[in-house]
Amino acid sequence: MALKFNRNKHNSKIILDGERWERRLQKELMSLVREPPPGVVVDSDQGENLSLWTINMTGAEGTLYEGEHFTLQFKFSPKYPFDSPEVTFIGPNIPVHPHVYSNGHICLSILTDDWSPALSVQTVCLSIVSMLSSCKEKKRPPDNSFYVKTCNKNPKKTKWWYHDDTV
Amino acid sequence: MFAFESVFQCIFAPSSPRIWGTTENADNALSTNTSVVVPSDPAPPYMEVYYPVYYPSPSIARTGNQLTEDEQVKIALRIGLIQNLPEGKYGDCEINTECVICMIDFVVGDHVRYLPCLHTYHVRCIDDWLMRRFTCPSCMEPVDTGTFDWI
Ligand SMILES: [Zn+2]
Ligand SMILES: [Zn+2]
Repeated sequence: MALKFNRNKHNSKIILDGERWERRLQKELMSLVREPPPGVVVDSDQGENLSLWTINMTGAEGTLYEGEHFTLQFKFSPKYPFDSPEVTFIGPNIPVHPHVYSNGHICLSILTDDWSPALSVQTVCLSIVSMLSSCKEKKRPPDNSFYVKTCNKNPKKTKWWYHDDTV
Repeated sequence: MFAFESVFQCIFAPSSPRIWGTTENADNALSTNTSVVVPSDPAPPYMEVYYPVYYPSPSIARTGNQLTEDEQVKIALRIGLIQNLPEGKYGDCEINTECVICMIDFVVGDHVRYLPCLHTYHVRCIDDWLMRRFTCPSCMEPVDTGTFDWI
């Protein structure tokens, strides 16, 4: 049996519909500039096509990362928000954290398996801020050196195992 | 709504090349469309222009002619289920004021779809998502259609 797949309203459209998603990114950027999560600074100028953002983050007071500066990079595919953004720490200071690899990759389920288009750059930032703030001991993930040597450049290509937190 | 405080122990899965391979292939299929073995049926002419992409599971993307028969059945069923979800015109006094997928406020008369959890979205926004994953983006509940829970 071979079903014939016709071009219908359920497919082909995502690619042709870029404008709608550019509007969403524009809107997200404006609201993030206006009301950034604590410790987050976003420049309203993120280049022409909005597909690559740089976000600055400062470790919150009273946490292990107090006063440290970090830089996050968000990469959006043309299928955002159906596809999650690719989010990594970049630059000279990568936070030493049990869920952050020394190459900047972050192990956070909402960036892969638990992504939903109802999430946003804002909620991802909040989630990362909270991940850093709740850290009790600065250390790299146990498999850091192996992972960094063998992983794909794109953290979304990693099949993560998300275990309950035992840190 | 989302548990920000719950973080996860990171262990990636070096022992599952099968899963890595699948993701890799899906990606190639999207970008170059060359590395995946294409089954016997030649692509219908429109494919050369549009390359509609189907998601037999969230991380697997294939064009129509790359689907296995099982996947074709699964996707045909899913299209049927989506089309059976109630839709209508956005009215005056509804709970949801914004479609959280495109982040645009609803306007009276917008073509919307209602999920069983009562979350509302533009038809064109939610249908694109449901073709990938059969869950509500807002509450992450599986869309319960009663009979076909296994889709
Ligand atoms: Zn919408
Ligand atoms: Zn819902």
